[in-house]
Amino acid sequence: MYTCKTPRGIRVTKQEALSRKPQKILEKIREHLEKLNEKMEIMIELQKRGGTDVKPFLDAPLDVMTLLSMPDHLRKTAMTVCRLGRATAQEVADQTHRARAVESSYLNQLVIMGHLKKERMGRKAYFYVEKEDQG
Amino acid sequence: MIDLGKIIAVHSYKGGTGKTHVSVNLAASFVKHGKKACLMDLDFRAPSLATFFNVEKAECWLNDYLNGTCKIDNAIIDQRIGSESKLSVVLANPSTEAIRDMSAKDRKWEMRALGRLLALRNSLLNDKGFDYLIFDTSPGLQYSSINAIVSADLVIVAATFDRSDVEGTKRMLHELYDLFEKKTEIIMNRVLHDTSSKSGKDYMENMIKETYQTPVLGIIPCFCDVAKAEGAFIFVQEKPEHPFSKILDEIAGKIEKSNSA
Repeated sequence: MYTCKTPRGIRVTKQEALSRKPQKILEKIREHLEKLNEKMEIMIELQKRGGTDVKPFLDAPLDVMTLLSMPDHLRKTAMTVCRLGRATAQEVADQTHRARAVESSYLNQLVIMGHLKKERMGRKAYFYVEKEDQG
Repeated sequence: MIDLGKIIAVHSYKGGTGKTHVSVNLAASFVKHGKKACLMDLDFRAPSLATFFNVEKAECWLNDYLNGTCKIDNAIIDQRIGSESKLSVVLANPSTEAIRDMSAKDRKWEMRALGRLLALRNSLLNDKGFDYLIFDTSPGLQYSSINAIVSADLVIVAATFDRSDVEGTKRMLHELYDLFEKKTEIIMNRVLHDTSSKSGKDYMENMIKETYQTPVLGIIPCFCDVAKAEGAFIFVQEKPEHPFSKILDEIAGKIEKSNSA
């Protein structure tokens, strides 16, 4: 039977190698596309604010008066993160009943505006207001 | 996670519309009907519940919890309602120094305060099993009251027929509660028109609905007995047969019914 070696030196059958590889490649492509998409969203948002050299706001508290002055679509996203404490774009989308990609764009806008913080853990990006013990 | 209890914020456009009186009696009515309720004084500019419940010193005030210097458990004080039931209260510090301190807070502090109010859903409703948290707020567009509104599931607007109150409430309904997509209902307080008959009550209810385009939770006539009591006792507890107490019980029943629906 024809066999081949995986990059780690494990010998597998040709059929096994063929079934494993495309799945891994697709996962990698998806991961890179997601990262690329995020970077594009940030660039678009920065360009809207007057060029790519514009630095994101570092610290803009997300207080209720700020929430009140926000456009409706961003307020909905921001309030959902406030309620959830810490959430992925998918978790926010589940609450707002809007598409994940739409929420991802709004969340990144809020990060650029300095209202939210973002943290990557593996493949998932988490958005939150501010890390602190709520007592 | 499914929240078992509900947070109710009692708010108004103007001061003196009876928010505190409604809050205290609504909380007491819930307790009377076997519910676990916690009443919180979020009117940091003019705290009144400490005086109402005769508390001069507390181990911990709501101010301290929002400042992050104490746990909410240490701020809860139990008040006896009847012979067996108790109403939990969390009070605002009424000292002048505390009022001054609270009015000088910056945006960042207010943002953290909102986070702490939102955290009460887990700590009190889900973990401690409270059925209702009732926030007695300060009138108008104050940080503390908007924080309370954002944290609440239901906003009760205590309104009167005072002309400036009517116009201000209308504006607030559309420019504040609607923006936060909050379920809002009105309690019309100190109504002078005759609502003793069914037709009188229906007429009044339709008029309020038409004016505010908002559901009516209750209509409370102007009772001299309530004014004479000068806020010295909890009406629904001391005078359970009084029409005022009956209306408050009815309001509590309506809220309970909409929660269990």
